[in-house]
Amino acid sequence: MIGFPAAVERYVQRVLRERSHPLMLSFDRAWQLREALGDARHFGVDARPGSADVALLRDLFLGLPGDEAHDFPFVGLPGGRTAHVHGIPDGELFHVLLLDTSEEFERLQAQQQLGHEAALVSAEKSRALARLRQIRTELEDQRSRLEEANALKNALIATLSHEFRTPLTSIFGYLHLLERRSADPTQQQALRALRRNATYLFALAENLLEFGRGEGGAGLLSPAPVDLAALAADLDAMFRPLAEDKGLAFGLTLAVQGAEGALFDEIKLRQILVNLLSNAVRYTAQGEVRAQLVWRDGALHVEVSDTGSGIAEIYRERVFAPFNRGAQEGSKGAGLGLSIVKRLVQQLQGSIALDSLPGRGTSFRIVLPPLPPAAGAPAAARGEPWRVGGRVVVLDDDPDVAALLVLLLSDLGFSVEVCRSVAEAVARAQADPPRVLLVDVELPGLSGNAAVYQLRAQGYSGRIVTLSATATEQARRAALAAGADAFLTKPIDLEQLMHVLQRLSAG
Amino acid sequence: MTATARKVCMLGDFGVGKSSLVARFLRNTFDEKYLTTVGVKVDSREVALDDGRSLKLVLWDIAGKNALDALNQNYLRGATGLLLVADGTREATLRTVLGLLMQARSLLPEVRAVLLLNKLDLVERWEVAPSTVAELRHALPVFETSARTGDGVEPAFAELARSLLP
Repeated sequence: MIGFPAAVERYVQRVLRERSHPLMLSFDRAWQLREALGDARHFGVDARPGSADVALLRDLFLGLPGDEAHDFPFVGLPGGRTAHVHGIPDGELFHVLLLDTSEEFERLQAQQQLGHEAALVSAEKSRALARLRQIRTELEDQRSRLEEANALKNALIATLSHEFRTPLTSIFGYLHLLERRSADPTQQQALRALRRNATYLFALAENLLEFGRGEGGAGLLSPAPVDLAALAADLDAMFRPLAEDKGLAFGLTLAVQGAEGALFDEIKLRQILVNLLSNAVRYTAQGEVRAQLVWRDGALHVEVSDTGSGIAEIYRERVFAPFNRGAQEGSKGAGLGLSIVKRLVQQLQGSIALDSLPGRGTSFRIVLPPLPPAAGAPAAARGEPWRVGGRVVVLDDDPDVAALLVLLLSDLGFSVEVCRSVAEAVARAQADPPRVLLVDVELPGLSGNAAVYQLRAQGYSGRIVTLSATATEQARRAALAAGADAFLTKPIDLEQLMHVLQRLSAG
Repeated sequence: MTATARKVCMLGDFGVGKSSLVARFLRNTFDEKYLTTVGVKVDSREVALDDGRSLKLVLWDIAGKNALDALNQNYLRGATGLLLVADGTREATLRTVLGLLMQARSLLPEVRAVLLLNKLDLVERWEVAPSTVAELRHALPVFETSARTGDGVEPAFAELARSLLP
């Protein structure tokens, strides 16, 4: 190697020395410090024999052969500086040479710090994203479970609805027959009591089902002319004895001239009135309970007022919330009634208002506009005497309901045949088309809709009426989509059935 | 040079807590701030064992890397013990340190090693499954440690010290 000019060599030596501040510690074979040369203070090293710093520098070569050169870059020293540490064997001595690398160390450390921190943040971000993905999966699972639970709830409600409505069909139907055939006043009174209480039970069941259906599952509206006088009489008969038992005056007035032909959902209207009157009687200790039904400005105005405990201002909104026990002083019920009333009024496109003075009483005012006719609804007014002949085939697996339909339809002049299965009904209708085929939807195995669909798919053009215990718009759509001409719900409203049969027979 | 001193290298990925474990072991301190190690920092402490013997551990706190480069191999020379450190909240660091162990054993076949699964104080965020730790224990001593709280630190260092004495 060609040597640099002496001036350059001197310059290099000077620069290296200035920048590296060399420190040399010489040890003998027993690792005793023999000599220390250089800038020990620059490194913050105590270079005296026996010092901890000297011991540390010695320990750097622990386990290493003493006759080989060693080289450790970036060794952190106790004083905070960083050195490139060289081990240099030299006969009986071993020199430990420290060259300052603090400047390079700081540059490297800054770079590395940034890189490592970024990597750690990235790992944390990945973890957070993984957690978010997991949360999303869990939420989706939860939503699936909720949907499943909701589907189960809906299935339960549908089943309950069916289970309530099917026996009530028999009860109301046979009551109707008995009322028509009995002339004995005592029996008539007993039958009215039976009807009243069955109606009350029906209303309670409907309340629970209505609540269970939830906001999104509103029951199907059944617009039909309502005999408001009969409804008022029923309510009077139901609540007057209860009010009088408590020593309350009870009054129910009716001013509905002009309402004839207006369509309402009788069950829902009855449910509203039963709930309001039931609450009024329940929460009134003395004084009176008054109700009035007034037809005014093309709408039915209902007012139910009492002289009961009243509802404090702070509870006004809460009384319409479900399970609001405690919102009213002396609450006893489930706390469902008023929430159901509000929901039903909304379904009927009406409005409800509440006035109350604590200790003075409460007044509910409801305005219900008449409902538009349902598609395919009968146009004829109710109550017309009507009889028609012809053959009707009934498909229903419930022997009580089937027998009831036989009686009711026979009363109307029909000859009635009953089928228990879809296959039998399809075969019989095809072989000899009846005037009307009455099909129950909820059958074991294939549904009544399947029978209707099969018949229509084979070109059957006779009249078909579907009966269902599932009073929902979805059920109605399914039945009509399968090919039914009309959809009626259970319990069977005899008047409505008559009108439908009349319309279809005429067609 | 004392006969009862051993060179011990800390190995593990960056950010697993090697320097924090050394600080806890040497000075019983912990700094929340992460400061990356460049090169190596050497320090020592004498460990008194239960049987009355003692050993000076010369600890080489080597900059965290996911593989042993030439520099780290140089630092490893003369080591008889390894403190392998992984971060329980980052399972990848366990794979890294096991890889480092294999590399180190190719250079130092007789080296003794103890595995420290650090950040026990963050155990709710651990990615390393208990079953994995149970499996690892068949191969080498494993300690769950927390440099922040000090849990498991002394026993881990003591275990390595014990294994380094004849």
